[in-house]
Amino acid sequence: MRNIRRVVRIVVILFMGLLLHYALPQRDIARVTSTEIIRTDFSSINRIFYAQADAGAEEQPTRDLRLINTVRKTTYLFGMMRGRDQVMVFRNEDTGWIWPPYFKFDSSDLQAEATDSVSSKDDPEWVAITHYGWRVRYLSIFPNAIAIKPIDGPDVRLIPWFNIFFFVFLIAAFLFLRAMWMQFRERTLDPLGDAANDRYDRVSADIGERRGRVRRWLDTWRSK
Amino acid sequence: MALVRLVVFGFLVLSVVYLSIAFYSRSVRREKLEEEWDANPPADASAEDRDAFIKTGLIEYHNGFRAKLIWLVYIIPTCLVAGIVYFTNY
Repeated sequence: MRNIRRVVRIVVILFMGLLLHYALPQRDIARVTSTEIIRTDFSSINRIFYAQADAGAEEQPTRDLRLINTVRKTTYLFGMMRGRDQVMVFRNEDTGWIWPPYFKFDSSDLQAEATDSVSSKDDPEWVAITHYGWRVRYLSIFPNAIAIKPIDGPDVRLIPWFNIFFFVFLIAAFLFLRAMWMQFRERTLDPLGDAANDRYDRVSADIGERRGRVRRWLDTWRSK
Repeated sequence: MALVRLVVFGFLVLSVVYLSIAFYSRSVRREKLEEEWDANPPADASAEDRDAFIKTGLIEYHNGFRAKLIWLVYIIPTCLVAGIVYFTNY
């Protein structure tokens, strides 16, 4: 029983971790090499890794997808360390009013910005690309670019303030929820349980008393 | 349509949060009032006096500023969404 609970707990924590890793913003230091548009036919497997059609448009089974081709610095330890160069392709889709809550409606503008910052290997123009999501080649899925900001060079250190605040908030929310639950149990559930126990005790005492009375009445018929 | 859905579901979720926090805050306040009374009860006080003391304290809390702070549950996420919309798109 304890093992089952442990496994369930590990699975839940793992799932939450993956969800957060997918949905929280990360920043890559990259050089945009080109932008392009490809037609995409989603499969039932990779559909959930794409957003919906542009905020004002109609959803169709097939549509065009904006891509941003880049060369980026490989990222380790949530952006604390950067390594060698590596190609990375970002998609550029509206998240709209739906999950994940980036409320992005400006894909076309972002595409224009990306095209504006295209640079060559000899004369690189480094940018920080904020994105969420994963690149999984087997499923043909791409991280979604949210914003492109010019930076001084490939060696700048970007501090993930949003994620720091987010985790502080998450821990605070967890502690608050626990305090709420403990207060609820102490002040509402336990008294209810006590009252139910009291009532049970009283009812069983009452039954015993009644049985005693019946027994006494029957005894009056017995010959002494 | 997606915006309507966000507003409706957001309102429902935030209402659950609001009610939970209001219930919790009231419960904590009540516990504090009980402790305050029990720590130093007047010599000739009855159980009714205790109930009256707690009731006055809770009404005072309900009309006070701290209880109104719980409305921030609706205000902060709305501002947050507005902020994210602004910073993502402009």
